[in-house]
Amino acid sequence: MSDLAVTSGRVAWRGKLGTESAPAAEAPDARRALQLGLAGVWLLDALLQYQSVMFSRAFGQMLAATATANPGVIARPITWDATLIEHHAVALNAVFATIQLLLGLGIALRPLTRFALAASVAWSLGVWWLGEGLGGVLNGTANPVSGAPGAVILYALLAVLLWPADRAGSAGEAEAAPFTAARAVGARAAQVLWLVLWLSLAWFALQPANRAPLALHDQLARQADGEPHWLAGIENGAAAVVGSHGLAVSIVLAAACVIVAAGVWLPRPAARAAVLLALVVAAAIWVVGQAFGMILAGGATDPNSGPLLALLALAYWPAKQRQARGERASSC
Amino acid sequence: MLIPVWILDMLAGLMLAVAGVSAARLARARPWRRGTVITDTDVGHLLMAIAMAGMLTAGLRTLPGAAWVIVFGVLTCWFGYRVARDGRASGVRALAGRHCTPHLVHSGAMVYMFVALPPLAAASAGVAGMGSAGEALRYPSLAFVFALILAASTVWDLDQLSGRRYRLASGAVTVGCRIAMSVTMAFMLLIMI
Repeated sequence: MSDLAVTSGRVAWRGKLGTESAPAAEAPDARRALQLGLAGVWLLDALLQYQSVMFSRAFGQMLAATATANPGVIARPITWDATLIEHHAVALNAVFATIQLLLGLGIALRPLTRFALAASVAWSLGVWWLGEGLGGVLNGTANPVSGAPGAVILYALLAVLLWPADRAGSAGEAEAAPFTAARAVGARAAQVLWLVLWLSLAWFALQPANRAPLALHDQLARQADGEPHWLAGIENGAAAVVGSHGLAVSIVLAAACVIVAAGVWLPRPAARAAVLLALVVAAAIWVVGQAFGMILAGGATDPNSGPLLALLALAYWPAKQRQARGERASSC
Repeated sequence: MLIPVWILDMLAGLMLAVAGVSAARLARARPWRRGTVITDTDVGHLLMAIAMAGMLTAGLRTLPGAAWVIVFGVLTCWFGYRVARDGRASGVRALAGRHCTPHLVHSGAMVYMFVALPPLAAASAGVAGMGSAGEALRYPSLAFVFALILAASTVWDLDQLSGRRYRLASGAVTVGCRIAMSVTMAFMLLIMI
């Protein structure tokens, strides 16, 4: 309690102003900290979904646009869903936003973490299809700079990798997971998932629509619209630097993704360097490529893939052997 | 503005509940008696909850925006002083577990919201008047930064609240109120962008 008296004496308020004492904070282990990071992104996602534009027909129209050029079997449900949302925008968007809010709050609440993570996988898969058109993977519009393979599928991947259980594999594997993401699914499965993700990003970066000389320049220049002055300056500056060298930048980005993909198979020092590179790529994509998910321009549905790639990278940070054993003992 | 009024009203109701809890805790402390201690967090919660309810629903407006800026400016200075004192006494790492750091952010965010609201929106109905006023929020980057911090604070508080830390502690009520305020404040900041 504080001993600072704000008022005292003969006036009506004779008390002292103090601060309630708080019990010591419990430090979460690495996996719990990442789960909380995921919960925070879900929470941000939910609150963005409550923006006024999401309660208008524009939201349904935005979803309908993701059906374009997708195979019929994928596109038809998207069109049906988008039409439904257009006609019942207020009620359905309120439900969507509330579900996402509950997912974020549920992951953060320890007794509900498992349930919320499992629900988030199902929700993410549904949104990836009906809300993001599978992230443009099948219609040739997927671009790692703009969020491929779809931000929401990364939520599902994180939920699986951060599942609060330790895999009962071989004795050595159970004793010390080499990184946090390996604890639930095992080291080999986690490495394969990482490899597939980053190789797919490299592949998308080299697609014709993304490697065209002016493709990246135009994309960055478009991001500046509606952004605050300082962020528009970053976007326009980056667009000027890229200029007509879209092909060269795409090759550099793809090479970085390949190095990152291979990184988790390398010895610990090299793996750490690769994960650091992944963090740098994620930060560059989020700030320059995605303009913080265009949240500052208003009307963004989520913070896009940058923060999720960074969370994934942190989940693959090579752990010290002793630390890994200790974390196993205190799993959440 | 297209956000359904019932959502804003529900959040305003939540804020009134927080204000009620905080007022009850303050009354139970019996501040008219010599030597009692009134917790600054309860004072902060009470004021913030009343102000936010007024921003969410025009019918609950109490003081003009300029008066709230002064109130929350004072609160920001107070919690800033407390954070600096705690930091000097226990180190910067210890601040994460204290009550004052989130309340400093809350107070700062309240000052920001009243300062950044366009005059027309502020004069009509706070955040509910943003769309109809047709004016842009000032310094939207700050709104985003505050919303990020509040989201992080919310998940941290929920984690701690559901762990061993608050199992037997009376501070759970304070943390529960803080979570409600953080979520509502982050919501308001993001819809204002």
